[in-house]
Amino acid sequence: MTPARRLAGLCLLVGIGVAPVPSRAAEAFVTAQNAETVDVIDLDARKVVATIPVPGAPAGIALSPDRARVYVTAPEGKALVVIDAATRRIARTVPLGGGPLGVGVNPVSGAVYVADWYAERLWEVDPKTLAVTAEIAVGTSPSGIAVTPDGKLLLAADRDDDALSLVDAATRRRVAVIPVGTRPFGVTIDADGTRAYAANVGSNDVSVIDIAARREIGRVKVGERPYAVALAGGRAFVTDQYGGTVSTFDTASLAPGPRLDVGEYPEGIQASPDGRHVYVANWESNTLTVIDTGSLTVTGTVKTADGPRAFGQFLR
Amino acid sequence: MKRIIAAALVAAFAAAPAAQAHGPTRKKVEEKVTINASPDKVWAVVGNFQDMSWLPPVEKTEGKGGNEIKATRTLTLKGGATVEEELYKYSAEQKSLSYRIDKVDVKVLPVNNYSSTIKVEPVDGGKASEVVWDGAFYRGYMNNDPPPELSDEAAIKAVKALYRSGLDNLKAKIEKGNS
Repeated sequence: MTPARRLAGLCLLVGIGVAPVPSRAAEAFVTAQNAETVDVIDLDARKVVATIPVPGAPAGIALSPDRARVYVTAPEGKALVVIDAATRRIARTVPLGGGPLGVGVNPVSGAVYVADWYAERLWEVDPKTLAVTAEIAVGTSPSGIAVTPDGKLLLAADRDDDALSLVDAATRRRVAVIPVGTRPFGVTIDADGTRAYAANVGSNDVSVIDIAARREIGRVKVGERPYAVALAGGRAFVTDQYGGTVSTFDTASLAPGPRLDVGEYPEGIQASPDGRHVYVANWESNTLTVIDTGSLTVTGTVKTADGPRAFGQFLR
Repeated sequence: MKRIIAAALVAAFAAAPAAQAHGPTRKKVEEKVTINASPDKVWAVVGNFQDMSWLPPVEKTEGKGGNEIKATRTLTLKGGATVEEELYKYSAEQKSLSYRIDKVDVKVLPVNNYSSTIKVEPVDGGKASEVVWDGAFYRGYMNNDPPPELSDEAAIKAVKALYRSGLDNLKAKIEKGNS
């Protein structure tokens, strides 16, 4: 075992079950696709405190359950890049081929799922060995991935099938195909694992899915070219790429709320664990927008490197 | 042979818009020009979505909807090719407009999912203007491992050249009108 791997293993062991999950996010790891970096942003100081060079046009992002590792997809590098969050260094680059874009982590097992944009499959990467252990058959152009909090089910947005694949994480088999709006891209599952929300790029709406019933139960109009969804305080927050806005709606009544101006081409979006803030990466403007979920106002903007996407879970 | 394959691919994509997939990396281009005229004067030209005559390759602009959101225009280029565009953001107050290309042959402009913003900003307290033209797009080939003429580099080069010629001509046209 290499010292680096032993260290990574040790970090993993120490992290699980010992470190309490903080209620608020301290840092954001933002993939800057055009700059080919991952920016580390201190969310209290609201500035970039580290810049990690990541070749291959980094886009998708997810964190290990203990938040010690950051997994980044590099579509042009055709790889999964594993970053040690504390040292801010690349620990390993896992070659995958194809077009790795969306990435999600099983919150229980730590397994890493990577969507291959060009093939109807996900790769499953073992968090300990960092080897591809399985391929999971899904639909066409899988993009966003989300896993239920109990780690039993995962959803992949099959963009060009206008559907979500529901996969049993244990058997790695697709157990249902759930039709949604046109071209679903980002998909987010709520904290109790009952509902999922898919942003439909083509039909400018969000599909609300009952996971147990395996079907869409509602559809909410949002701005132009929705990309991804965050959930906080009983509301959904949706990035509208063309609109340059974040649309909101009440998750109980599905009634639309205010639409907030953020930067141009907003993409990756995530709520802090305490739900008080939502963070948005603006690809065109090269900024991270901070939204206060109580007042529903923009309370801060942080300059980033060129082309921030942060597609996935990027708050640590 | 290569050309036949390329043509067949173009036809296949055109015939199956629902299956249209883009590569995962969107590119951006930004070009600027400083014009010795007030922002109001520059916006009077740039802010008219129905007149793209300042862009050298354009022979005529035909459209409907004026400067309203969802207004459309068809640019006919010298040589006969057409580009169909739609306005999706317009602010006279901020002197900014955004549009996208709904339809263009990749042989004319080797891009997909193209959108663009043109903005006029004051320089020198409003005595002069800076025009900023931003574009966001994917390359012409929507799958992995593109041929060179439909690569990221080809797309960036084509858009950069288009913006440069447009902005330089805009400057010449407006500054000439000053004198």
